Amino acid sequence: MGACVERLTKLVDDPERFAIPYTDLRAAQIAAMNERFQERKQRIKLLAHRAREAGVGEIRSREDMVPLLFPHTAYKSYPESFLSEQKWDRLGKWLGTISPYPIAPIETGDIGGIDEWIGRLESKGHYISCSSGTTGKSAMLLASGADMQWSRRDTVGVFSWGSGVQPARDRRMFGVAPIAHVPKNVTIAEAQAAAFGDPRFVPFRLPVPPITVGQLTKMVVLRKAMAEGSARPGDIAEFEATSKARQESLENAMAIAAEALIAARADKLYISGLWNALYQVAKLVREKGFGAKDFHPDNCIYVGGGLKRALLPPDYQQFVHETFNIPAERNFQNYSMQELNSGMPRCQQGGRYHVPPWMVPFLLNKQGDALLPHAAGELEGRAAFFDLALDGRWNGVISGDKISLDLSACKCGAKSPSIRDNIVRYADLEGDDKIGCAGTVDAYVRGLS
Amino acid sequence: MSAADGVLAPATRQAIRVKHFVRGALVTGDAVRHTSRDLGVDFTTPAIDLDALIAPRSEMPPLFDTKLADIVDFLVETGARLDLDRNPYLQESLEFVAATNPLPRRIVESLFRRARQFLTRDALMASMHANFPDLRCFDEWVERTDAHGQSAALRAFPPRLIHMLAGNSPASCISSIAQGAMLKAVNVFKMPSSDPFSCVAVLRTMADIDSGHPVVKSMSAVYWRGGDERIERTIYRPQYFNRIIAWGGGSAIDNVIRYLSPGLQLLSFDPKTSISMIGPEAFQSSAAIAQVAEAAAEDVTTFNQEACLASRILFVEGAPGGVEEFCEKLQQRMGVDRPLASAVAPLPPAELREEIDMLKLMEGEAKVWGKFDGRGMVILTGEPVEFHPTGKIANVVHVRKLEDAIRHVNVATQTVGIYPEATKVRLRDRLANAGAQRVVRLGSASKHVGGAPHDAMFPLQRLVHWMSQENA
Repeated sequence: MGACVERLTKLVDDPERFAIPYTDLRAAQIAAMNERFQERKQRIKLLAHRAREAGVGEIRSREDMVPLLFPHTAYKSYPESFLSEQKWDRLGKWLGTISPYPIAPIETGDIGGIDEWIGRLESKGHYISCSSGTTGKSAMLLASGADMQWSRRDTVGVFSWGSGVQPARDRRMFGVAPIAHVPKNVTIAEAQAAAFGDPRFVPFRLPVPPITVGQLTKMVVLRKAMAEGSARPGDIAEFEATSKARQESLENAMAIAAEALIAARADKLYISGLWNALYQVAKLVREKGFGAKDFHPDNCIYVGGGLKRALLPPDYQQFVHETFNIPAERNFQNYSMQELNSGMPRCQQGGRYHVPPWMVPFLLNKQGDALLPHAAGELEGRAAFFDLALDGRWNGVISGDKISLDLSACKCGAKSPSIRDNIVRYADLEGDDKIGCAGTVDAYVRGLS
Repeated sequence: MSAADGVLAPATRQAIRVKHFVRGALVTGDAVRHTSRDLGVDFTTPAIDLDALIAPRSEMPPLFDTKLADIVDFLVETGARLDLDRNPYLQESLEFVAATNPLPRRIVESLFRRARQFLTRDALMASMHANFPDLRCFDEWVERTDAHGQSAALRAFPPRLIHMLAGNSPASCISSIAQGAMLKAVNVFKMPSSDPFSCVAVLRTMADIDSGHPVVKSMSAVYWRGGDERIERTIYRPQYFNRIIAWGGGSAIDNVIRYLSPGLQLLSFDPKTSISMIGPEAFQSSAAIAQVAEAAAEDVTTFNQEACLASRILFVEGAPGGVEEFCEKLQQRMGVDRPLASAVAPLPPAELREEIDMLKLMEGEAKVWGKFDGRGMVILTGEPVEFHPTGKIANVVHVRKLEDAIRHVNVATQTVGIYPEATKVRLRDRLANAGAQRVVRLGSASKHVGGAPHDAMFPLQRLVHWMSQENA
């Protein structure tokens, strides 16, 4: 890590890190982006290619960086057949085009599935997290050991800043989400437990088998076989039976979680999960006749991710908060994505997500190929970020999100740029008015979503 | 919020005013504001009066007593007036479609100029004859007697139809209007947001010929946002309609499926993809390669590869040197202006760029000709690429034998363009078994033989209400 990058990333433990106005950071951020670019432009093949095509040799302005930001889809650009046909060497070669570090050689002859492949790479210091694409391809995000260490630090700071909860190791930890068992999620869960968890209690985890990348990709692989017409009815029946069994086991686990929460209601709790799971558990707790009056008045909650297209009643957040007696000032939300390594916590007074000094926000046009002119105030556009803290892959990524970024100070007093709590995915804005004669065989695959 | 800076306030754009046509009458107004799906152009429509739109079953269909021959006369007359150089409605809608549709203006113009070709007596009658063994059923009760000597009479009674027009093919409404008229149907055309204009332009042209003509009285064309429950939940009922005809696939169809019930059926022309197959004869000389590359380019670039019949994957069997020369020439020929293709087309979606870049960076996976500049790219691989080539991207797949390519044909495959001729005959049965619907000469994907089936069926027969009078 160079001096310019370090100057900004070392602010991670600074309690005043969100107090720095954007104008004070601009020059330092450009210098730091250039430093990252110079050290990596020969090492990341895809970056070298992009730099050559765009004719960029140096970052002197934010505009210079725009053609070098990777769309989030770059991490899905591997051919699916590498997975479905278990071509591990070629998948490794693909990783090599996006990695700043040479991919260590591993034995692939005896690998039985993607989980083993990921495990073997992890033992060599390459950490792969997959996004859980529900029907489509999963993004494969490569990270390094340094990234895991950073996540560990950053996540505690982000939660503490956003929720006002001090890392005093005085809370009973409850994880009630079926979260994918990928290195980043595991690291964050461990770090949160170590910082906030009361060591007298074993953290509660939803009693379901871990969701691995192999399970996430199984559906993708079967979908492809169905589209090609090569899947046999037996394959589909087996998959459906497994899905049904998993759903039932999840429902049982939710009931167990509800019982455990009720039993622990007198303790000070730290509850984490995704909105859908939290809502389901809260409903079970209410059905058993328990609610706000029964729970500790200083409980806190960590919610990861958005709704993920779950259909919940409009007051789902309030319902969850009221059930577990979460005080208003403990309402924590974080804006981040698998593609980034750092979080952006939401403040209590302004209700906005704050961008830390080592994260350079870009507002692009909808197509993601041009920077919007934005010198002051709030403006809406496609979100892109350059996370200076990232070590194991290229720092710049263009998201699928539409955000409103404000460069002026927030109502809460923080002077950092901040993002309004109305983030949507461009993909969800497309609407359902499309009709056309051209299409793919995907439209002919039923029942795998 | 900094609305004071003016950064949040969207520039006030002038919205295009869309007109509706309801059972013979033009309806204007700007009660509802919409944004077009593809290009985000704002337009307004009148409010839809559902009571006015839906003809009650107590009324006989306006066309019931009109002879098929008279209907065809009226359509032919309409065709004569759909001359872009003289028809102000078409001229106006061409400008609007050019603003809302992703196809370039010049191609939209070509489509407008071609569409009337369907409105000739020969073309209209060919489609009717291909669909129906005895056209007298449309004008009278046709008597027949079964093997036991029992007599009966049959009538092709007018159906009530909703036509969901495709968004990627402006002016295709013309054939839908003609079909609806010849079936004597009561018709509602649900226009797409990428062209909420041309259908009304055609209907206004008809109304100028004779505003009281039963064809005119049996037609309505409106826009509502697909998925608008207030409208769809109300009117998608068998009491109001027999069939919903969907000219394509996509989210708009997923909405409709929810409303299907006994008596209300969906006739969908499914979303399709097309391919080419080229045998070793093509690669025997530079002259042959050039000729085949031109034919292949014609099929790949049609509608700038937005249409179902545009070829996307080209399986080739032949010597590697010849195949690479073919790829190079194909890429060159993809970069020329054609009646239905632009030399420089809109760029493919960004995620394709990621996948193609990656194939280039991973040595040994693919050879790539062309750049990401709208002039077309050719990607030579040993297996089909896993993304959907679109925006003038051709994936040439080198196979040992063309027979090896059949496993890549599936239920979504529509047109297979084949070179040489004899190979068409050799492969056609196996292609059909795998799911394909049409084998054509390479270079002729967008040409049609009159009276051919559409989407592997004769759709018009499935639209009429076959009424039987039996004397058993």
